[in-house]
Amino acid sequence: MGAISLKYKSKSGNLTAPGDVDPGAMIPIATISVGAGGASSIDFTSIPSVYQHLQIRAIARSNRASASDSMKMTFNSDTTNNYAFHYLYGDGSTAVGDGTANYSSIALLEAAGNNATSGIFGASIVDILDYSNTSKYKTTRNLGGDDRNGSGLVSLTSGLWQNTNAITTISIIPFTGTSFLQYSHFALYGIKRAGA
Amino acid sequence: MAYTYSKIATYTVGSGGIPSVSFLNIPQTYTDLLVKVSARTDRATGSASDFSFIFNNSTTGYTDRYVYGNGSGTGSGSNAYTNQGFAGNITQATMTASTFGSVDIYIPNYASANYKSISTDATTENNATLTYNMPVATLWSNTSPITSITLQSASGGNLVQYSTFHLYGIKAEL
Repeated sequence: MGAISLKYKSKSGNLTAPGDVDPGAMIPIATISVGAGGASSIDFTSIPSVYQHLQIRAIARSNRASASDSMKMTFNSDTTNNYAFHYLYGDGSTAVGDGTANYSSIALLEAAGNNATSGIFGASIVDILDYSNTSKYKTTRNLGGDDRNGSGLVSLTSGLWQNTNAITTISIIPFTGTSFLQYSHFALYGIKRAGA
Repeated sequence: MAYTYSKIATYTVGSGGIPSVSFLNIPQTYTDLLVKVSARTDRATGSASDFSFIFNNSTTGYTDRYVYGNGSGTGSGSNAYTNQGFAGNITQATMTASTFGSVDIYIPNYASANYKSISTDATTENNATLTYNMPVATLWSNTSPITSITLQSASGGNLVQYSTFHLYGIKAEL
Protein backbone atom coordinates (compact mmCIF):
# COMPACT_ATOMS: atom_id res chain seq x y z
CA MET A 1 0.00 0.00 0.00
CA GLY A 2 1.25 3.50 -0.77
CA ALA A 3 1.06 5.78 2.24
CA ILE A 4 1.77 9.43 2.63
CA SER A 5 2.39 10.69 6.17
CA LEU A 6 1.64 14.35 5.92
CA LYS A 7 3.80 17.10 7.25
CA TYR A 8 3.89 20.70 6.34
CA LYS A 9 6.56 22.04 4.04
CA SER A 10 7.80 25.55 3.72
CA LYS A 11 8.27 27.13 0.34
CA SER A 12 11.93 26.18 0.55
CA GLY A 13 10.93 22.53 0.84
CA ASN A 14 12.06 22.05 4.43
CA LEU A 15 9.85 20.45 7.01
CA THR A 16 8.50 23.05 9.39
CA ALA A 17 5.99 23.45 12.16
CA PRO A 18 2.28 23.25 11.29
CA GLY A 19 0.93 26.47 9.83
CA ASP A 20 3.75 27.14 7.39
CA VAL A 21 1.86 25.84 4.37
CA ASP A 22 2.29 27.14 0.85
CA PRO A 23 -1.24 28.24 -0.13
CA GLY A 24 -2.70 28.60 -3.59
CA ALA A 25 -2.74 25.48 -5.74
CA MET A 26 -5.24 26.86 -8.25
CA ILE A 27 -3.58 29.47 -10.47
CA PRO A 28 -5.26 31.58 -13.17
CA ILE A 29 -3.61 31.07 -16.58
CA ALA A 30 -5.82 32.96 -19.05
CA THR A 31 -9.29 34.44 -19.44
CA ILE A 32 -11.26 35.06 -22.63
CA SER A 33 -14.36 37.25 -22.54
CA VAL A 34 -16.36 37.46 -25.76
CA GLY A 35 -17.02 40.98 -27.00
CA ALA A 36 -19.80 42.52 -29.02
CA GLY A 37 -18.64 40.98 -32.28
CA GLY A 38 -18.84 37.41 -30.99
CA ALA A 39 -16.14 34.76 -31.26
CA SER A 40 -16.08 31.79 -33.60
CA SER A 41 -13.55 29.97 -31.44
CA ILE A 42 -12.07 30.17 -27.97
CA ASP A 43 -8.39 29.30 -28.06
CA PHE A 44 -6.03 28.84 -25.15
CA THR A 45 -2.51 28.58 -26.56
CA SER A 46 0.99 28.07 -25.23
CA ILE A 47 -0.33 26.37 -22.10
CA PRO A 48 2.60 25.86 -19.72
CA SER A 49 3.36 22.34 -18.60
CA VAL A 50 4.22 23.33 -15.04
CA TYR A 51 0.89 22.39 -13.49
CA GLN A 52 -0.56 18.98 -12.66
CA HIS A 53 -4.13 19.60 -13.86
CA LEU A 54 -6.11 22.11 -15.86
CA GLN A 55 -9.60 23.41 -15.15
CA ILE A 56 -11.81 25.49 -17.42
CA ARG A 57 -14.70 27.47 -15.97
CA ALA A 58 -17.07 28.87 -18.53
CA ILE A 59 -20.41 30.46 -19.18
CA ALA A 60 -21.47 30.23 -22.81
CA ARG A 61 -24.19 31.24 -25.24
CA SER A 62 -24.01 30.65 -28.99
CA ASN A 63 -25.78 32.06 -32.02
CA ARG A 64 -27.57 28.79 -32.73
CA ALA A 65 -31.24 29.50 -33.53
CA SER A 66 -32.42 27.31 -30.70
CA ALA A 67 -32.74 27.49 -26.92
CA SER A 68 -29.61 25.42 -26.43
CA ASP A 69 -26.37 24.36 -27.98
CA SER A 70 -23.36 22.28 -26.97
CA MET A 71 -19.66 22.85 -27.51
CA LYS A 72 -16.78 21.01 -29.15
CA MET A 73 -13.32 20.89 -27.59
CA THR A 74 -10.10 19.82 -29.29
CA PHE A 75 -6.45 19.75 -28.22
CA ASN A 76 -3.21 20.73 -29.97
CA SER A 77 -5.06 21.48 -33.23
CA ASP A 78 -5.96 17.80 -33.62
CA THR A 79 -9.33 17.54 -35.39
CA THR A 80 -8.96 13.93 -36.53
CA ASN A 81 -11.08 11.09 -35.14
CA ASN A 82 -8.92 10.62 -32.06
CA TYR A 83 -11.63 11.50 -29.56
CA ALA A 84 -14.50 9.86 -27.76
CA PHE A 85 -17.09 11.36 -25.44
CA HIS A 86 -19.93 10.12 -23.27
CA TYR A 87 -22.60 11.89 -21.27
CA LEU A 88 -25.28 11.58 -18.64
CA TYR A 89 -27.88 14.31 -18.69
CA GLY A 90 -31.27 15.09 -17.24
CA ASP A 91 -33.69 17.60 -18.66
CA GLY A 92 -36.16 17.75 -15.82
CA SER A 93 -38.20 14.75 -16.90
CA THR A 94 -35.87 12.31 -18.65
CA ALA A 95 -32.37 11.00 -18.02
CA VAL A 96 -30.17 10.06 -20.97
CA GLY A 97 -26.86 8.23 -21.21
CA ASP A 98 -25.10 8.09 -24.55
CA GLY A 99 -21.81 8.74 -26.28
CA THR A 100 -19.71 8.58 -29.41
CA ALA A 101 -16.38 6.92 -30.16
CA ASN A 102 -13.86 7.75 -32.89
CA TYR A 103 -15.00 11.33 -33.19
CA SER A 104 -13.29 14.55 -34.22
CA SER A 105 -13.80 16.39 -30.90
CA ILE A 106 -15.04 16.12 -27.33
CA ALA A 107 -18.57 17.39 -26.75
CA LEU A 108 -19.17 19.66 -23.78
CA LEU A 109 -22.70 20.18 -22.50
CA GLU A 110 -24.22 22.81 -22.16
CA ALA A 111 -24.35 26.22 -23.79
CA ALA A 112 -27.45 28.35 -24.17
CA GLY A 113 -28.59 29.08 -27.71
CA ASN A 114 -29.71 32.37 -29.21
CA ASN A 115 -33.41 31.63 -28.70
CA ALA A 116 -33.01 31.31 -24.93
CA THR A 117 -34.23 34.26 -22.88
CA SER A 118 -31.74 37.07 -22.96
CA GLY A 119 -29.15 36.83 -20.21
CA ILE A 120 -29.22 33.05 -19.92
CA PHE A 121 -25.92 31.23 -20.36
CA GLY A 122 -24.88 27.63 -19.90
CA ALA A 123 -22.30 26.97 -17.19
CA SER A 124 -19.48 24.43 -17.31
CA ILE A 125 -16.55 23.26 -15.23
CA VAL A 126 -14.12 21.08 -17.18
CA ASP A 127 -11.36 19.16 -15.41
CA ILE A 128 -8.38 17.77 -17.31
CA LEU A 129 -6.21 15.80 -14.89
CA ASP A 130 -2.56 15.03 -15.70
CA TYR A 131 -2.80 17.07 -18.90
CA SER A 132 0.97 17.00 -19.53
CA ASN A 133 1.61 13.36 -18.65
CA THR A 134 3.18 11.73 -21.71
CA SER A 135 2.33 8.20 -20.56
CA LYS A 136 -1.43 8.74 -20.51
CA TYR A 137 -4.21 9.52 -22.92
CA LYS A 138 -6.13 12.56 -21.75
CA THR A 139 -9.48 12.18 -20.00
CA THR A 140 -11.79 15.15 -19.44
CA ARG A 141 -14.67 15.50 -17.01
CA ASN A 142 -17.31 18.22 -17.42
CA LEU A 143 -20.10 19.16 -15.04
CA GLY A 144 -22.43 21.58 -16.75
CA GLY A 145 -25.91 22.72 -17.50
CA ASP A 146 -28.33 25.56 -17.93
CA ASP A 147 -31.75 26.26 -16.54
CA ARG A 148 -34.06 28.32 -18.71
CA ASN A 149 -36.94 28.80 -16.26
CA GLY A 150 -39.14 26.04 -17.59
CA SER A 151 -36.60 23.98 -19.51
CA GLY A 152 -32.93 23.18 -19.32
CA LEU A 153 -30.42 20.46 -18.81
CA VAL A 154 -27.80 19.28 -16.29
CA SER A 155 -25.04 16.93 -17.34
CA LEU A 156 -21.89 15.04 -16.39
CA THR A 157 -19.81 14.47 -19.51
CA SER A 158 -16.52 12.69 -20.11
CA GLY A 159 -14.09 12.93 -22.99
CA LEU A 160 -11.04 11.05 -24.25
CA TRP A 161 -8.21 12.29 -26.44
CA GLN A 162 -6.20 9.28 -27.62
CA ASN A 163 -2.86 11.02 -27.59
CA THR A 164 -0.07 10.96 -25.02
CA ASN A 165 1.30 14.39 -25.96
CA ALA A 166 1.10 17.12 -23.37
CA ILE A 167 -1.81 19.46 -24.01
CA THR A 168 -0.47 22.84 -25.15
CA THR A 169 -3.55 24.32 -26.83
CA ILE A 170 -7.28 24.00 -26.20
CA SER A 171 -9.88 25.12 -28.74
CA ILE A 172 -13.60 25.35 -28.03
CA ILE A 173 -16.28 26.11 -30.62
CA PRO A 174 -20.07 25.89 -30.59
CA PHE A 175 -21.30 22.46 -31.59
CA THR A 176 -23.99 23.74 -33.96
CA GLY A 177 -23.83 27.54 -33.91
CA THR A 178 -21.05 29.46 -35.62
CA SER A 179 -20.01 31.80 -32.84
CA PHE A 180 -20.18 32.44 -29.12
CA LEU A 181 -22.11 35.56 -28.17
CA GLN A 182 -21.05 38.57 -26.14
CA TYR A 183 -20.51 38.02 -22.40
CA SER A 184 -19.60 34.37 -22.89
CA HIS A 185 -16.59 33.88 -20.65
CA PHE A 186 -13.93 31.19 -20.46
CA ALA A 187 -11.26 31.00 -17.74
CA LEU A 188 -8.36 28.54 -17.70
CA TYR A 189 -6.71 27.56 -14.41
CA GLY A 190 -3.71 25.45 -13.59
CA ILE A 191 -3.80 23.28 -10.47
CA LYS A 192 -0.52 22.39 -8.86
CA ARG A 193 0.47 19.17 -7.20
CA ALA A 194 1.94 18.96 -3.70
CA GLY A 195 5.61 19.80 -3.75
CA ALA A 196 5.30 22.03 -6.78
CA MET B 1 -3.32 36.84 0.16
CA ALA B 2 -6.44 35.06 -1.11
CA TYR B 3 -6.45 31.30 -0.51
CA THR B 4 -7.45 28.85 -3.23
CA TYR B 5 -6.79 25.17 -2.98
CA SER B 6 -3.84 24.34 -0.72
CA LYS B 7 -1.67 21.45 -1.83
CA ILE B 8 -1.43 18.82 0.90
CA ALA B 9 -0.09 15.63 -0.71
CA THR B 10 0.34 13.80 -4.00
CA TYR B 11 0.95 10.13 -4.72
CA THR B 12 1.89 8.62 -8.10
CA VAL B 13 1.74 4.86 -8.55
CA GLY B 14 4.98 3.32 -9.80
CA SER B 15 5.64 0.27 -11.90
CA GLY B 16 4.08 -2.91 -10.62
CA GLY B 17 0.94 -1.22 -9.34
CA ILE B 18 -0.43 -1.07 -5.86
CA PRO B 19 -3.70 -2.18 -4.19
CA SER B 20 -4.45 1.10 -2.40
CA VAL B 21 -3.18 4.57 -1.56
CA SER B 22 -3.50 6.24 1.84
CA PHE B 23 -3.20 9.82 2.99
CA LEU B 24 -2.30 9.73 6.69
CA ASN B 25 -2.08 12.36 9.43
CA ILE B 26 -4.27 14.81 7.51
CA PRO B 27 -3.93 18.24 9.09
CA GLN B 28 -7.09 19.49 10.77
CA THR B 29 -6.56 23.13 9.83
CA TYR B 30 -8.71 23.31 6.68
CA THR B 31 -12.47 23.51 6.26
CA ASP B 32 -12.92 21.09 3.37
CA LEU B 33 -10.88 18.49 1.54
CA LEU B 34 -10.78 17.74 -2.17
CA VAL B 35 -9.29 14.57 -3.59
CA LYS B 36 -8.50 14.54 -7.33
CA VAL B 37 -7.84 11.13 -8.85
CA SER B 38 -6.65 9.99 -12.27
CA ALA B 39 -6.63 6.21 -11.97
CA ARG B 40 -6.88 2.87 -13.72
CA THR B 41 -6.88 -0.71 -12.45
CA ASP B 42 -5.54 -3.94 -13.92
CA ARG B 43 -8.86 -5.73 -13.35
CA ALA B 44 -9.73 -7.77 -16.43
CA THR B 45 -13.29 -8.86 -15.64
CA GLY B 46 -16.54 -6.95 -15.52
CA SER B 47 -17.21 -3.58 -17.11
CA ALA B 48 -15.48 -1.00 -14.89
CA SER B 49 -13.86 -0.88 -11.46
CA ASP B 50 -15.76 0.47 -8.48
CA PHE B 51 -13.69 3.11 -6.71
CA SER B 52 -13.95 3.65 -2.97
CA PHE B 53 -12.57 5.41 0.06
CA ILE B 54 -12.17 4.47 3.70
CA PHE B 55 -11.84 7.08 6.43
CA ASN B 56 -9.74 6.50 9.54
CA ASN B 57 -9.53 2.74 8.78
CA SER B 58 -13.23 2.50 9.61
CA THR B 59 -15.21 -0.17 7.73
CA THR B 60 -18.67 0.77 9.04
CA GLY B 61 -21.19 3.56 8.63
CA TYR B 62 -21.13 4.20 4.87
CA THR B 63 -24.25 4.69 2.73
CA ASP B 64 -24.55 6.09 -0.77
CA ARG B 65 -26.86 7.10 -3.60
CA TYR B 66 -25.85 7.41 -7.23
CA VAL B 67 -27.08 7.97 -10.76
CA TYR B 68 -25.16 6.92 -13.85
CA GLY B 69 -24.95 6.94 -17.59
CA ASN B 70 -23.17 3.97 -19.18
CA GLY B 71 -22.85 5.16 -22.74
CA SER B 72 -26.14 3.65 -23.88
CA GLY B 73 -28.55 4.12 -20.98
CA THR B 74 -28.96 5.29 -17.42
CA GLY B 75 -29.56 3.88 -13.96
CA SER B 76 -29.62 4.75 -10.30
CA GLY B 77 -29.01 2.91 -7.08
CA SER B 78 -28.03 3.05 -3.44
CA ASN B 79 -25.74 1.46 -0.90
CA ALA B 80 -23.30 -0.03 -3.35
CA TYR B 81 -21.15 -0.63 -0.26
CA THR B 82 -21.58 -0.18 3.49
CA ASN B 83 -18.04 -1.05 4.60
CA GLN B 84 -16.44 1.64 2.44
CA GLY B 85 -17.50 4.83 0.73
CA PHE B 86 -18.53 4.39 -2.90
CA ALA B 87 -16.87 6.90 -5.25
CA GLY B 88 -18.11 5.87 -8.69
CA ASN B 89 -16.14 3.97 -11.31
CA ILE B 90 -12.63 4.18 -12.73
CA THR B 91 -11.19 2.75 -15.93
CA GLN B 92 -9.80 -0.78 -15.95
CA ALA B 93 -7.89 -3.19 -18.19
CA THR B 94 -10.94 -4.04 -20.30
CA MET B 95 -11.12 -0.45 -21.55
CA THR B 96 -9.02 1.52 -24.02
CA ALA B 97 -5.31 1.32 -23.21
CA SER B 98 -3.53 4.29 -21.59
CA THR B 99 -6.91 5.63 -20.48
CA PHE B 100 -7.56 6.63 -16.88
CA GLY B 101 -10.72 7.51 -15.00
CA SER B 102 -11.19 11.00 -13.59
CA VAL B 103 -12.66 11.54 -10.11
CA ASP B 104 -13.22 14.48 -7.77
CA ILE B 105 -14.18 13.65 -4.18
CA TYR B 106 -15.32 16.68 -2.19
CA ILE B 107 -15.40 16.34 1.60
CA PRO B 108 -16.79 19.46 3.26
CA ASN B 109 -16.32 20.04 6.99
CA TYR B 110 -14.14 16.96 7.29
CA ALA B 111 -12.85 17.95 10.74
CA SER B 112 -16.24 18.61 12.28
CA ALA B 113 -17.99 16.54 14.95
CA ASN B 114 -20.91 15.90 12.59
CA TYR B 115 -21.58 13.05 10.20
CA LYS B 116 -19.65 13.49 6.95
CA SER B 117 -21.45 14.10 3.64
CA ILE B 118 -19.32 13.51 0.55
CA SER B 119 -19.95 14.53 -3.05
CA THR B 120 -18.20 12.67 -5.89
CA ASP B 121 -18.10 13.21 -9.65
CA ALA B 122 -16.59 10.20 -11.40
CA THR B 123 -16.06 9.31 -15.03
CA THR B 124 -14.33 6.51 -16.84
CA GLU B 125 -13.59 6.79 -20.56
CA ASN B 126 -13.31 4.33 -23.39
CA ASN B 127 -13.15 4.55 -27.17
CA ALA B 128 -16.27 2.41 -27.36
CA THR B 129 -19.87 2.56 -26.21
CA LEU B 130 -19.35 1.52 -22.60
CA THR B 131 -18.23 4.09 -20.09
CA TYR B 132 -19.61 5.44 -16.83
CA ASN B 133 -20.49 9.00 -15.85
CA MET B 134 -21.58 8.93 -12.24
CA PRO B 135 -22.30 11.52 -9.55
CA VAL B 136 -22.41 9.92 -6.09
CA ALA B 137 -23.60 11.19 -2.71
CA THR B 138 -22.10 9.34 0.24
CA LEU B 139 -22.68 9.60 3.96
CA TRP B 140 -20.24 8.43 6.61
CA SER B 141 -22.28 8.21 9.79
CA ASN B 142 -19.38 8.95 12.07
CA THR B 143 -18.66 12.09 14.06
CA SER B 144 -14.87 11.66 14.16
CA PRO B 145 -12.73 14.16 12.28
CA ILE B 146 -11.17 12.58 9.21
CA THR B 147 -7.47 12.03 9.76
CA SER B 148 -6.76 9.47 7.05
CA ILE B 149 -8.20 8.49 3.67
CA THR B 150 -7.51 5.19 1.91
CA LEU B 151 -8.41 4.96 -1.78
CA GLN B 152 -8.79 1.68 -3.64
CA SER B 153 -10.66 -0.37 -6.18
CA ALA B 154 -13.58 -1.96 -4.35
CA SER B 155 -13.86 -4.41 -7.26
CA GLY B 156 -10.38 -5.76 -6.66
CA GLY B 157 -7.25 -5.47 -8.74
CA ASN B 158 -4.33 -3.09 -8.42
CA LEU B 159 -4.11 0.58 -9.22
CA VAL B 160 -1.70 0.72 -12.15
CA GLN B 161 1.39 2.77 -12.89
CA TYR B 162 0.80 6.48 -13.62
CA SER B 163 -2.37 6.57 -11.53
CA THR B 164 -2.24 9.76 -9.49
CA PHE B 165 -3.92 10.89 -6.28
CA HIS B 166 -3.93 14.47 -5.03
CA LEU B 167 -5.20 15.82 -1.72
CA TYR B 168 -6.06 19.51 -1.38
CA GLY B 169 -7.30 21.55 1.55
CA ILE B 170 -9.73 24.44 1.22
CA LYS B 171 -10.17 27.09 3.87
CA ALA B 172 -13.47 28.89 4.32
CA GLU B 173 -11.92 32.10 5.52
CA LEU B 174 -8.58 33.76 6.10
